[in-house]
Amino acid sequence: MIRFCLSNLKPRKFIFMRKYWWKILGVILIIYSFTLGLLVPLKPGISSIDPGSMRTASSYQMEIVGYNTFYTRAQDAVRVWLKYDSIHALAASKTRVVNDRSLVADFDIPKYLPTNDRVGVVSVIVDDDYNGFSVVPSTVFITQDSVDKDIVAGSSAWKQGRIGNIHSKDQFNFPFRVQLSETIRNLYFHVPFWFSMFIIFIAGITQSIGYLSTNKLEYDYKSMSFTLVGTVFGIIGLCTGMIWAKDTWGTYWSWQEVKMNMTAIALLIYLSYFILRHSFDDDERRARISAVFSIFAFAAMIALLYVVPRMVSSLHPGSGGNPALGADDLDNSMRLVFYPAIIGWTLLGVWMASLIYRMQVLRDKLYDY
Amino acid sequence: MARNMITMKKSFSILLSLLFLLPTSLIAQTNNQDFMRSIGKMYVVYGVIIVIFIVLIIFLIYLDRRLTKLENQIQDK
Repeated sequence: MIRFCLSNLKPRKFIFMRKYWWKILGVILIIYSFTLGLLVPLKPGISSIDPGSMRTASSYQMEIVGYNTFYTRAQDAVRVWLKYDSIHALAASKTRVVNDRSLVADFDIPKYLPTNDRVGVVSVIVDDDYNGFSVVPSTVFITQDSVDKDIVAGSSAWKQGRIGNIHSKDQFNFPFRVQLSETIRNLYFHVPFWFSMFIIFIAGITQSIGYLSTNKLEYDYKSMSFTLVGTVFGIIGLCTGMIWAKDTWGTYWSWQEVKMNMTAIALLIYLSYFILRHSFDDDERRARISAVFSIFAFAAMIALLYVVPRMVSSLHPGSGGNPALGADDLDNSMRLVFYPAIIGWTLLGVWMASLIYRMQVLRDKLYDY
Repeated sequence: MARNMITMKKSFSILLSLLFLLPTSLIAQTNNQDFMRSIGKMYVVYGVIIVIFIVLIIFLIYLDRRLTKLENQIQDK
């Protein structure tokens, strides 16, 4: 009786949810990553500073150009500092807001720097109550030409402008980086493909091992479908990376960039897997040899993509030792979009692979008649 | 007929030149040398998204062709 009631409670038309929930989830996650990835604004930041070099004992009008900033909406005056180190900083004597995106700060550079060096490098910090604070690290060079360098006088002059009462903007924003600016969003449209590719290749290799241990052809078909989708994702990752590289590194293909070249080699190995498959007429032979080949290709990919780039320096973030994403490169707000994107694209890849697999099974049935 | 062809060619060439002129006028508007790097390099993101869709569509075309082949084989049986 209870079982009957329960079966009546489930409407017939929602039965597809039980079978296809992962496809729906994948599509929803991809739509989510596209929406948030494109619509969430970047944090207010500074895109340029002029002049980039100064001399001691003279006055300057520094022009600051902001990005996504609204300087006219600040209640209090916008404050600007030149930060020398953790204890030495110089406050702007006067700041003037020109418009939402530009700012002029007057600086009277003291006669001495708090150091004996001829050239000091300072960071610029801009703070107000509406936009929060933004920092441009090590950007302005200050030259001291005087022969009689006085560290004590310099130190006391640079201690006048204490940095304090800093505002932070508590909103859901992606971080602003000068070199990347809006292209930081490519994290959701380029990197997830590499993660998904890796997961899908792992799925493919488990099917290959399954074929070798059971000798059932369906495992071979599954392995082939997963490998095909993984290769497609690799090609997407490479092409999207090339466009991103053109505008960050200045060239579509950098032969010095180890990760790029190693990925190309790994993808060529995987492409040769498909050529190998086409060269056999006997199903059993093709399945066995391609299963062994895919295991070797996977081992080669691990070495090329995850071992070699860690041993040499690379243009990718966190170069020299760790080419993957470090803690500094990934903000919490970005994780919220990045991880769902990986899951979404992986599920979509499994869906694509299942289509190829089903087609392959149909073809098999056709030839059996 | 021949005249029709000529007018078609003319309109096609006008269309083509318009297509090529469009980005340059946009560059003039943004006052930037590099179209891709204008407006905070947002067009790079668009380019990346377009590439994703192009590759996925190529994959769909491949699937479509293989399915058609299969359908033809079923019909032949």
